[in-house]
Amino acid sequence: MHIPDGFISPQTYLPAYALAGVAWSWAARSLRDQLDEQTVPKLAAMTALAYGLGLVMVPMPGGTSGHALGVAMLALLFGVRLAFLSYSLVLMLQSLLFGAGGITALAINALAMGLVGSLAASLVFRALRRFGDTAAVAAAAWCSVMLPALIVALVLGLQPLIAHGADGAPLFFPFGYSIVLPAVLAPHALIGVGEAVLTLFVWRFARMRRWSLA
Amino acid sequence: MSLSMNPRRWLAAYLAAVVALTFVHQPWLLAALLALALACGSSERWRLLRRALKAVLAFNLSVSLGYLVVALWQDRFSGHYLLLVNLRVLLLVYLGFWFVGRVNLLQALAFSPTLSFLAALAVGQVAAFTRIVRDFRLAFASRNCAAIALADRARHASAQASHLFDKSICSAADTAMAMRSRGSFDD
Repeated sequence: MHIPDGFISPQTYLPAYALAGVAWSWAARSLRDQLDEQTVPKLAAMTALAYGLGLVMVPMPGGTSGHALGVAMLALLFGVRLAFLSYSLVLMLQSLLFGAGGITALAINALAMGLVGSLAASLVFRALRRFGDTAAVAAAAWCSVMLPALIVALVLGLQPLIAHGADGAPLFFPFGYSIVLPAVLAPHALIGVGEAVLTLFVWRFARMRRWSLA
Repeated sequence: MSLSMNPRRWLAAYLAAVVALTFVHQPWLLAALLALALACGSSERWRLLRRALKAVLAFNLSVSLGYLVVALWQDRFSGHYLLLVNLRVLLLVYLGFWFVGRVNLLQALAFSPTLSFLAALAVGQVAAFTRIVRDFRLAFASRNCAAIALADRARHASAQASHLFDKSICSAADTAMAMRSRGSFDD
């Protein structure tokens, strides 16, 4: 669901960077305490997996792309802070190395997918764990896709309202909410199912290898 | 000028250029800036431009066609908008590729120990993943002359995924131990 470069107005991405700056410093605050030689290899491997997953994407007419995130597995295995930082890094590498996403959209993409996605996964997992790990992980992964997709759609749909020329023609993203909400949310409801399967696979792998979980 | 530019300054200049470009709303100016960026580029300029075109093609085509249909249907089509958004996106992506091709990203991020630490780990893992996937693909192809059954493909994918995790964790563990021996985890 990356928002590509050039579709977000400065009046959106500049405040988003300010907000993301606060969130990044919050996430990095206790980083040194959380990282040791046990955690680092697993975090690096999962970050690379999320990076690879995000590159297999399908463009959508709504102005974004459909792909698995991998943020739920990061959040469930390492916690929200590490997941947010790692996913922000994934987004930065994808945008600079492959032109997927973009520097102007980085803060919004990171806040939506990295922060809200991992928070949603973590909270839903905790709330549903009493019904069994499988259901809780699957629901957490599905929500970690749908909530960021909703935020991305809301940000995109806002663009023609706040950034247009004197003649009313859009300057950045052209579609309003009536188009962008269904165009982004409907495919992601399906992508969320794939994300749930993938996250379950990684979760079981981690349990088999007796990883300590967040 | 390039002699006084270190990776950190290149990063600052790149970010400033990106922000400035989003305040430009004249297609002719964006086209002129793209021509200028190409003229200032190295011998790699056409390869980078092709790469940028390929990277933005699918997204911009889907948005542009969607806009074309909706705007014609609502009778408010603007060719100016199509030119503006496509030139802006192409220029931003070209600049990004040019920046990464010219500047060592890890050195540019060295101002933040945390960021460069995470970036070094992630970049190392991405390289390890790429190598393992290529090795598996070649090994699988070399051992199967005939058409491969779906069940065999699934078994192969499962074995590859497990190996990918284990191998990359082992290689990252090596890195982490090397970092431990150099005092990276000490306060």
